[in-house]
Order: sequence, then C-alpha cells, then structure tokens
Amino acid sequence: MSEANKTEDKKSVQEKLTDLSELVGWFQGASFKLETALDKFKEAEALAEEIEKDLTKLKNDIKIVKKRFDSEA
Amino acid sequence: MDDVLLSVSDFVALTNQTLEYAYPTVQVEGEVAEFRVSQGKWVSFKLKDDGAVVNCFTALSQMRIPLEDGMRVVVVAAPRLNVKGYFNLNIRAVKPVGEGSIKKGFDLLKAKLEKEGLFALERKRSLPRVPKRVAVITSTESAAYADFVKIINERWGGLDVEVAHTQVQGVPAPDQIIRAIRYFNSLEVLPEVLVIIRGGGSAEDLSTFNDEPLVRAIAESRIPTLVGVGHEVDHTLADIISDVRAATPTNAAQILVPDRQEIIRGARAQASSVGYLLTQAIDSYSRQTKENLNAAFSRIQEKLDGTFEQLGVLRVAVAQLNPDNVLRRGYALLRGEQTIGATLEIETATNIITTEVQDVRSK
Repeated sequence: MSEANKTEDKKSVQEKLTDLSELVGWFQGASFKLETALDKFKEAEALAEEIEKDLTKLKNDIKIVKKRFDSEA
Repeated sequence: MDDVLLSVSDFVALTNQTLEYAYPTVQVEGEVAEFRVSQGKWVSFKLKDDGAVVNCFTALSQMRIPLEDGMRVVVVAAPRLNVKGYFNLNIRAVKPVGEGSIKKGFDLLKAKLEKEGLFALERKRSLPRVPKRVAVITSTESAAYADFVKIINERWGGLDVEVAHTQVQGVPAPDQIIRAIRYFNSLEVLPEVLVIIRGGGSAEDLSTFNDEPLVRAIAESRIPTLVGVGHEVDHTLADIISDVRAATPTNAAQILVPDRQEIIRGARAQASSVGYLLTQAIDSYSRQTKENLNAAFSRIQEKLDGTFEQLGVLRVAVAQLNPDNVLRRGYALLRGEQTIGATLEIETATNIITTEVQDVRSK
C-alpha cells in the first residue's frame, strides 16, 4: 500500500467528506484548471467510493458503564 | 412499660425509636395546605384529606418541585415527634399526583426556571454533525433504549457510545440520572454529546424529568445535551432545557447521527456533480477555443478581403497604365531619332510602321 493510500485510510469519514466538498469547491472556484481537472475528478470519484465503503463497514462500539448510579459513591 | 418512668426527652426519643422501627418511611397522599418557606431554608405545610391533617416538614433544598396550596401530592416521609411535642412527617421526597397537580408543579417550575433565563435560546449549544464519542443515560432494559441502539446502528457507524444505566421513573430516578450526568461531566475526555432518553409513560412516570435538581443538572452540563423523553406530545422540563429536544428516543437517534445511506447518496451526487462540472468546463473551453478560432479566421478573412480589394484597385491602375490600352485608344508609339533623314518606327494597336523623317518643327 502506498504512503498516500495509508494516509487516506487513516482519515475519518468526516474528513473524507470534507475533502470531497473541497474538491467540489475547487471545481466551482477560481483555482480551477482544466489541466488538473481530470485528476481531481478521479480523486472525487475515489473518495465517494471510499466513503461508501467506510460507511458500510463501520460498526458502533457500545459499552455499558460499569459504575452504578443508584447511590452516591 | 407501665412501671417505667420516663423523662419527657426519653419519651420523645423512645417514641421516635419506635416510629423508626415500625415506620422507617411512609408514603402519604393528601392535599397541600398552608405551604410556607421560613428563613429561605425550611419548608412546612399541612397534608390533609377530608378527615385528618398532618404537619409536614423539610429543608428547602430537599424540594424537587415547587408546591402550592391545593396541590395533591404523595410524600415519602419519616414520622417523627419533635422536641416541642409536635408530630411531623419529615419529608424525604414529595411528588405531585393527578394530572392537575402534576401540571401545576410543571407550570410553577417552568415559570421559575424561565425567570432565571435557563430556557433562553442563546444558551442552546449545537451538536456536532457527526459525533465520535457519545454518552447515553437511560434504562438499558427499556424498549426505548433498544430502539435507540437499533436506529443509530442502522444510520451510522464508528461511534464510541458509553451508556449509563439508571432508573427512569420513580423516586430514585432523578438522583441516579443526576449522578450519571455528573459522572460523564467529570471524565477527562468529555463525550461530544450527552443523550438522555426514556420511552412513553404516564404523566406521573415522566414527572422524573420535571424534577428541579435534574433539570438544573442538565442545564449545567458541560457536554451539550440531547433529550428525548416520552412521545411526541409529551413535554418535560428536561427536554425544554436541553440544548436539543428530540420528540422521542427514536428521534434522538435520528438527530444524533446522519443517515449513512443519505451520506452515501450525497457523496455519489457530489462526485457526479464534479463530473458534470468537468464536462461543463471542457464544453466551455472547447466553445471558447472554437470562438477564438472563428474570431481569428474572421480576422484573417477580413485582412485578405482588404488586401484583395487593394490589389483590385492596383490592378485597375496598372491596367490603365498598360501601353497596349493606350494604343487601342488610337495612339501610336514612336521610336527613333527625331532628325531629318532618320528612320522612325511607329507602333499602332495593330501595326508597326517604318518611316523616314522629312521635316522636324518645333511646336
């Protein structure tokens, strides 16, 4: 796995969603360049796919607190 | 005991000992009368029904809900004979009963807290859109909790959820919930959201969530709170004072986390919109390039037209200067010396004539 991919994997879904929104913003903004647009488009597609994969496999970790609350202690 | 002589103090002590043994606590229902707060610290009132009346006494700090004369309540109390000879119920807990009294207690406390500004909108904190660490206070045996867990698992993943199991109705419930709130607020790393949930129930069941210390504990929580108690039509002070009110425990789960299917759809839509934007950009660039080429071509065409026009004019001018055209108009071209005896060549449009000069005169 490449270093770039490792970094991508460490990102949370929220961070990936932010990256995707930033990519959309880049396409709508002044920094848009046709020369790099295709790469950015591919990046956006890959991000959307990763987000879907991440969200599908993520499970919640639910723990019951051991402490009892029926008396002061 | 007939032969035992007691001092008054001993008698009072013995009576209290007997009472404590026989009735450690009693629950008595009646109507509040002559409600009074003395020195800002002590509460006294009479609890009465059609046939009898009993004095009740407690510290103001023990009161969980404001009382007023005429309210119907159940007191949990220890019967005591005080040193002045008055029989009292020393109150440990008091709760309104019956729809009217519960409503009255609710309105009184609501007005009190409202006056303190605790319901002000500017106090409300927003919840993170996607929290990572969540604390939940509820009865883990309830259907409401099962629904809540089902919905958050369906909607989202990757949450670290810590659940404090407490009673959610009955006299001990408010204090248990308060302890759980304090527990989560004392953690080194605070959860991002504190969720308090309870399913539907009678007005009396839900009155736990109209308990003044509990409502204040929710208001004081350092962790933003999300409270979903009862059904959509139920309103408790706990949910009114919370940062975000959920209509039901299920709704609390829906508010807490986004729906992963919606997010996936949104991400796909964003990627598609990028594709659309790219196509649009390519179209726009090619349109612009085409326009630029057309403009350049038009400019070249204009230049060519101008040059051809100029050439035409020049060609006419050159044509006019052509000697053949002059000859065709009847003129002749003369070559040779203009001296007597010299030979001259005369060129007309059709012939070349050779002749000799016989005379030369000045004009």
